[in-house]
Amino acid sequence: MSSPLRIVIVGGGTSGWMTAAAFAAVLRPDQRHIHVIESSEIGIVGVGEATLPHIRFFNKRIGIDERDLMARTQATFKLGIEFADWARVGDSYIHPFGAYGSRMAGVPFHHYWLRAQHHGQAAPFEEYSLAIAAARLNRFELPSDDPGAVQSTFGYAFQFDASLYAAYLRSFSEQRGVRRTDGKIVDVQLRAEDGWIEAVKLADGSVVTGDLFIDCSGFRGLLIEQALHTGYDDWTKWLPCDRAAAVPCENSGPLTPYTRATAREAGWQWRIPLQHRTGNGYVYSSNFISDDEAGAKLLSRLDGKALAAPRFLRFTAGRRRKTWNRNCVAIGLAGGFLEPLESTSIYLIQIAITNLIDYLTDASQRPAGKFDPRTVDAFNRWMEMEYDRVRDFLILHYHATERDDAPIWDYCRTMDVPDSLKHKMELFRQRGRVVTYKDGLFLEPSWLAVYLGQRVMPRSWDRLADGLDGPELQHQLRAVHEQVQKSAERMPTHEEFLSQYCPASRPMMAVP
Amino acid sequence: MSNAVRRLIVVGGGAIAWIAATAFMRAFRKDALEITVVDGGAPDDDPVGYWTLPSQRGIHSLLGVQETDLIAHTGATFKLASEHVNWQGRDSRFLHAHGQIGPQISGAPFYKLLLIESLAGRPESPEPYSLAAVAARLGRFARPMGSEKTLTSSFTYGFHLEAKSYVAYLREHARRLGVRRIDSPIANVTLSDGAIAALQLSNGEEISGDLYLDCSGSKAQLMSCICAGERDDWSGWLPCDRMLSTFTPAQSAPSAVTQTTAATAGWLWRAPLANSGMAGYAYSSAFQSDDAALAELRMYAPGESPAPVLRRFSSGRRRKCWEHNCVALGTAAVELEPLAGAELHFGQLGLATLIEIFPAHGVTAVERDEYNRVMAEQADALRDFTLAHYRAGPGRSGEFWEATRAERAPARLTDKLDLFGANARIELLDFESFEELDWAWLLMGSGLRPDAIELQVRLRLESLTSQTLATLRAQIQQLAASMPRHIDYIKGQVVRPR
Repeated sequence: MSSPLRIVIVGGGTSGWMTAAAFAAVLRPDQRHIHVIESSEIGIVGVGEATLPHIRFFNKRIGIDERDLMARTQATFKLGIEFADWARVGDSYIHPFGAYGSRMAGVPFHHYWLRAQHHGQAAPFEEYSLAIAAARLNRFELPSDDPGAVQSTFGYAFQFDASLYAAYLRSFSEQRGVRRTDGKIVDVQLRAEDGWIEAVKLADGSVVTGDLFIDCSGFRGLLIEQALHTGYDDWTKWLPCDRAAAVPCENSGPLTPYTRATAREAGWQWRIPLQHRTGNGYVYSSNFISDDEAGAKLLSRLDGKALAAPRFLRFTAGRRRKTWNRNCVAIGLAGGFLEPLESTSIYLIQIAITNLIDYLTDASQRPAGKFDPRTVDAFNRWMEMEYDRVRDFLILHYHATERDDAPIWDYCRTMDVPDSLKHKMELFRQRGRVVTYKDGLFLEPSWLAVYLGQRVMPRSWDRLADGLDGPELQHQLRAVHEQVQKSAERMPTHEEFLSQYCPASRPMMAVP
Repeated sequence: MSNAVRRLIVVGGGAIAWIAATAFMRAFRKDALEITVVDGGAPDDDPVGYWTLPSQRGIHSLLGVQETDLIAHTGATFKLASEHVNWQGRDSRFLHAHGQIGPQISGAPFYKLLLIESLAGRPESPEPYSLAAVAARLGRFARPMGSEKTLTSSFTYGFHLEAKSYVAYLREHARRLGVRRIDSPIANVTLSDGAIAALQLSNGEEISGDLYLDCSGSKAQLMSCICAGERDDWSGWLPCDRMLSTFTPAQSAPSAVTQTTAATAGWLWRAPLANSGMAGYAYSSAFQSDDAALAELRMYAPGESPAPVLRRFSSGRRRKCWEHNCVALGTAAVELEPLAGAELHFGQLGLATLIEIFPAHGVTAVERDEYNRVMAEQADALRDFTLAHYRAGPGRSGEFWEATRAERAPARLTDKLDLFGANARIELLDFESFEELDWAWLLMGSGLRPDAIELQVRLRLESLTSQTLATLRAQIQQLAASMPRHIDYIKGQVVRPR
């Protein structure tokens, strides 16, 4: 066996520790040497407290026990995201982690619903989704394994304290031999012949060499940008928000098994309920509101008492031109930033990590200090696709609005969106067809939730949905509706379920 | 609604025309669509037959065609694999079987173990690990059966179809379902605002519809009237532009295999039928004269009966398969040598896509754009897989063969071959008809070897012992040998009264 791959991870936080934990778990100790360098002087951004169901695959792959994790991160369950006031003030819809009804005769359910609705014979679309029905009732239970049961038609994710997740993964990693150094990087040494990263130099004068450098240093991209000048595609013209203010507050009212995103006068506000507190934030555009005003607005719109003063963050929506450049891979905010409207931050970290792991070849076949450019190109193509697809989906939220009560909404409503999105929206308007793809995030139900939730209504439906005769269609829709609503009512409340499944064992403090 | 699409006119008399008419008939309510086939006869340069992908099974079930009945009436046979001979130089041969290669091991595909072995200097063929391949080699056949993940269900199959009897069978099937047929060539196409307004037929009738399907083959009888037809020309990559095809005497015990053999200026092929055989030669006229090609075909398939049919074509696709109120299906949209057996498949992809986004309430630009986008991707994917036969592996020498590699391959194919060459991953895009295993058969068979293997896959496959492999090979061998001979299976299909 050849010598182990020396992986240097610059930056801790969610992305750094997820990367360390994953490499430590899937590679044998003789195959890797992992070194995390983080500075306790530099804060962790950690705004991504709400996740997508995909995180469960990640945790499972590296061997984390879900109940234990949830108990230790103050986690709650998440069935979806409620979007309030997006198309019009007063509107509310939930983007669920799950399906609406099920296909009949090979035709997606929503076409039947569109037909019935056209004749005034359908309940609101969301009432056919078990994930939404349960969310609206603040109820939860684990989905069923029986694919025929309506209880199998949803998935779930977590709402947790990301800094506790990072702390959890840190101890997981250190138990598996990951080395951690608290230190600040003062210099990045490049190899003269090809500009690859050779080592990083710390403030105390020590030098850490490696084969593969993972840049988890956040927005500034210490390695990928400051050292390698990779370049960044700026998407601000479509996603104008460039600031956020974040503040936790006391819980009040029932613990919702969903995150809420409320459209505001210069952006939107998140609300993420955890077991011990509620996370809140205001994502806004500095063109339309000042920091002071945004902070004040945020504080005035909390469920309970604020537990700290607001923290302010700055960012630029976009993507690093190459996620993997030479021997450096940018993971997390160093690789790109898309606002947490659809909780994609941790997903984008996870997909970069798992792809990187899957693309790596055996060291015995890898020329020393080299990565095959063909592999690097393929990895970058994949990440580009992931970011671009998330981007279009986020833009849709801003663009599909009728709001004209604030300049930001006037801008977004009338802005020129990417052709790829324009085509998707126009196609849906025509006959309810959702453009689907083989890889990448957000499948048909997600697009349906946002289109219909934001009043993008198809003019018609797939004619194949005319195959059922009227009474039969009525019967089928009623049956689905009843099954969904009854199943939701039978579930325990979210709080009851949490308290027997994964009560937070003890209050834990975030690792600074 | 006034511009609702109610009258569908299908132009053409070949297989894809009848498949389209019947599929629409069965997909929509009886009162929703009125379907007429204007049958000017099958294009006279249609090849004598087809070899198909397994997707033909799905099409038959969609059309309500009983396979046993079809086989009994048309003399069709089954196809478990393609065998490619001499593509990597003299005496090279490999199978692309319609079946799995070994089992999945903790989520890692088994074929990668063979790549690992080959990197270690122990090259091994995937064939002994595939029931479809072993049965194909032994001239055996049985339908897959049993539950998922069992060896007996580890494969699927396509067909060898004689064109005339297949078309006659489909036509009769369509007639019984109530598809209206007008038996007349088209004399004139009347346009209005660029769209088709009406067709004047040779028999004096005039007919008009809301949507026209052009299934008239490479001449694209309707499409060519309504637009100049911008094309993506693929002939730089795929220089074959002629296909000779003919019948041969029956082999005594034909295996369920289509065979292609690399030749002077293209590739020869043969495929079995129940009572005879088919053979042909796809070649490039730039590298061989028609006479010399004919002579080469005669050497390959002596004793052929009628004079071979010659089809001329030029590899490429229409930029837009759908213009105004006319959709080109099959070879009217894309011309591609049938190396991968996807000729009918491509027409059927168009059909399935059209049914999915059927413009019930009038043709709209956005749906047309979507159709054209999807079909362009589908066509490019089939082109890439076809082209990979020429581009993967060491290749063979000769003027024609060197010319097929002279131009830079399309980027999406280069990316695919590069990634496989780097770490054995097979990267699939949206809308690919051929799946990971099809590519594995082709790339491994062509002798393309990756420089390294994904570490994760290696870790998962480590546990396999040579004893396990030997047991697997023996099981497959035994199971294949217990199947009936392909020809006996065919002859044993019960004829049901129609």
